Amino acid sequence: MADVASPIGILTQVRVVAGLRWRILRNGLRKKASRFDLLGLILLGVFSGFFVVGLCVAFFTGAYAFLSEGRFGLFGLLFWCIFLFWQLFPIFAAGFGASFEFRSMLRFPLNLTAFYVIGLAYGLADFSAVASVCWLASMTLGAAAARPGVLPAMLLVAALFLLLNVTLERLVGSWLERLLSRRRTRELFFALFILAMVSLNLIEPTMRHYGGLLGPLALRIIPYFAWLPPALAGRAIAAAAEARFGWLVLGSAGLFVYAAVFSVFLWRRFASQYRGEELSETAAPVPAAARALAKPADSSDRLSALSPQVATVVRKEFRYLTRNTFSFFTLIMPPVMVLIFGTMFAGKHPASEHPVSPEMLFPGIMAYLVLILMGPAYNCFAFEGRGIQTYFMAPLHFRDIFLGKNLMLLSVLGVETVLSLVMLAWLLGLPSLPVFLATMAAIVFAVVGQLSIANWSSVTFPRKLEFGQIRGQRQSGMAVLLAFAAQIVFGGVSAVVLFSGRWTGNRWFPAEAFTLLAAAAVGGYFASLDSMSRLAEEKKEVLIEALCR
Amino acid sequence: MPEIAIRTQRLTRRFGNLTAVDGVDLQVAAGQFFGFLGPNGAGKSTTIKMLTGLLAPTAGSMDLLGLDFATHPVEVKRQIGVVPEGMGLLERLTGSEYLQFVGRMYGLDRRMTQQRANELLDFMQLADRPKTLIADYSHGMQKKLALAAAVIHGPRILFLDEPFEGVDALAAGVLKALLGRMTERGTTIFLTSHVLEIVERLCSHVAIIHKGRLVAQGSLEELRADISGEAGSKTTLEQVFLSIVGQDGTERPRLEELSWLM
Repeated sequence: MADVASPIGILTQVRVVAGLRWRILRNGLRKKASRFDLLGLILLGVFSGFFVVGLCVAFFTGAYAFLSEGRFGLFGLLFWCIFLFWQLFPIFAAGFGASFEFRSMLRFPLNLTAFYVIGLAYGLADFSAVASVCWLASMTLGAAAARPGVLPAMLLVAALFLLLNVTLERLVGSWLERLLSRRRTRELFFALFILAMVSLNLIEPTMRHYGGLLGPLALRIIPYFAWLPPALAGRAIAAAAEARFGWLVLGSAGLFVYAAVFSVFLWRRFASQYRGEELSETAAPVPAAARALAKPADSSDRLSALSPQVATVVRKEFRYLTRNTFSFFTLIMPPVMVLIFGTMFAGKHPASEHPVSPEMLFPGIMAYLVLILMGPAYNCFAFEGRGIQTYFMAPLHFRDIFLGKNLMLLSVLGVETVLSLVMLAWLLGLPSLPVFLATMAAIVFAVVGQLSIANWSSVTFPRKLEFGQIRGQRQSGMAVLLAFAAQIVFGGVSAVVLFSGRWTGNRWFPAEAFTLLAAAAVGGYFASLDSMSRLAEEKKEVLIEALCR
Repeated sequence: MPEIAIRTQRLTRRFGNLTAVDGVDLQVAAGQFFGFLGPNGAGKSTTIKMLTGLLAPTAGSMDLLGLDFATHPVEVKRQIGVVPEGMGLLERLTGSEYLQFVGRMYGLDRRMTQQRANELLDFMQLADRPKTLIADYSHGMQKKLALAAAVIHGPRILFLDEPFEGVDALAAGVLKALLGRMTERGTTIFLTSHVLEIVERLCSHVAIIHKGRLVAQGSLEELRADISGEAGSKTTLEQVFLSIVGQDGTERPRLEELSWLM
């Protein structure tokens, strides 16, 4: 008879899981390319350390000052800061999170209680939680230094506040996970997120127009905030400092009730996961009776001017673009931003008083468009996945693949440029002919010039990105650096050429210079295609390994 | 003298200090259904990747249909079809779109690509969900689609890396029928599989690779005769495989060491 594994304690399981996380991180750094990521991580760690320690000092000082100076009512503000950071940061940082699935722990022999506790422990290991716990500890020390008698109350309130926050954060996280498990809701969520970011621009004009109405409304709403957890925690500490123990008990009880309610909801969520909640979006098979032959596709070829292979790649890129809603939104954003900038600088925005001349704004906005849209070209195979093998198995030279992908990017850029042009012409009017032509030639120079570098970057530093996912997605670090460096170089050259027109007093000089530079860039691009094709052949193992994981 | 479809000479691939494929000399005649066997990590997939252009050899040469792969990669690729390890599908296309993509990449015209794609989808019983993305296909459906993509241009050599892995009996039957018909019409099929019964049933010739070296090659009858010492032996392929691969005595783990499991 085989031995049966004996049950182990929850703490041991937590330790084992922590070890697993560490090994995943350590083994991921064995590859040479990952060491650049390690450098980034170290830098990020140093900056994060400064951020956390700096705010620890601020929280200590704040708690000490509010209690020693008798400004008890302000103590709640400190709890509000921690609460908002703890709950909102993980949502904003979702894209940078580890791709490790906590739910995969379910394959091991855990009971529901152990699963719940490990889940909470996971929540405490997040950056936002670690930072918040440090700040809570600093507040506790600050409060104790100012009024030692408050320490027991502070410890109680801080413990309840910690439990409440970690539970709520895990609850929100698990609901988000459920929402984001389906492609359509994921994309909808992303769209709402982008819209929310864009709408931040509207706060200022809204306040200018409706500030008078919003003020009294806000004053009516604020009292209700007093029953939310951070305000309750603040009132409990204020009561302890004033020796009003009834309010201390009431505030602590309120926090406990919140923590209990969130715990019940989180328990139910984890119980659903524990029972094997199905989050997959794979459709059930269609019964045989419903079978129908695939409809024949349209046989007319709108891309007949291209070679069949290049046209096929363009068509495939178009399909991928239309199905990857995240990429699609990133394409929609630049014209939206052009509209906002245009409105703002044209003097039509409520916040704008001094309209900017189209002579300056037009090249600037077009440069912004190129800056945003060229980024993905530096890792253009990111979404191919295992399909990259198809390109290497097919009887063609890799230049056809580059041509197809680059043509698709140029088409997108062309459409966006025309769209932005129309908007700017409507909002600002067009610039003078020399500036217009110089800007158009500069776009050709900057875009085509970057394509060769972007193609080189794509085969040399590839990184797989999951289609339609936000969480756990990280761009190739070297590709981002290269894109950044190339944009600086091309932007710098363009700026020098533009300003040299002013210095020399020759309004046509930038247009002439950019036309020459654009011709050189186009020539250089076509000259580079064969060597890029050879490079792709040499680097195929790197590409296949990186994208087929 | 039969036409040679695949010939390798001293084919070698090293990964750092590890020699995954070590001086392999393969010879596969045109029209053969050829099984390429070996234990895990023996070098099967590395060999098939080199033969299909997914991996460059460190040393040695490969001729396919009389063309040197190193000097005529595009001409060679035009005449071969591949179902690679992991299938290599573009998962955000539908099955029909993917077949049309592959057909066009191999230079078929639009009308022919469309016609063949429809016929293949119908034959593989994949035509019922024209709008479903490949990412949402089951594993077996993906395998069938990968095979359809590998044959859409009518290859003269077909390379299949574990084509029956994860495929149910019904789908396997469809694949076998297609492969059988293709060999009848002169296509050379080079197949790797861990399922020795399938290889025994389908293949006429077999090669066995072990620790990167080719340790046996010939028709099934020849290999059986080599092992049993008599012509017309009833020795199974599994017995042949185990006797060749297990010759050095290190291959059979001793169950006594797992006494706690008994």
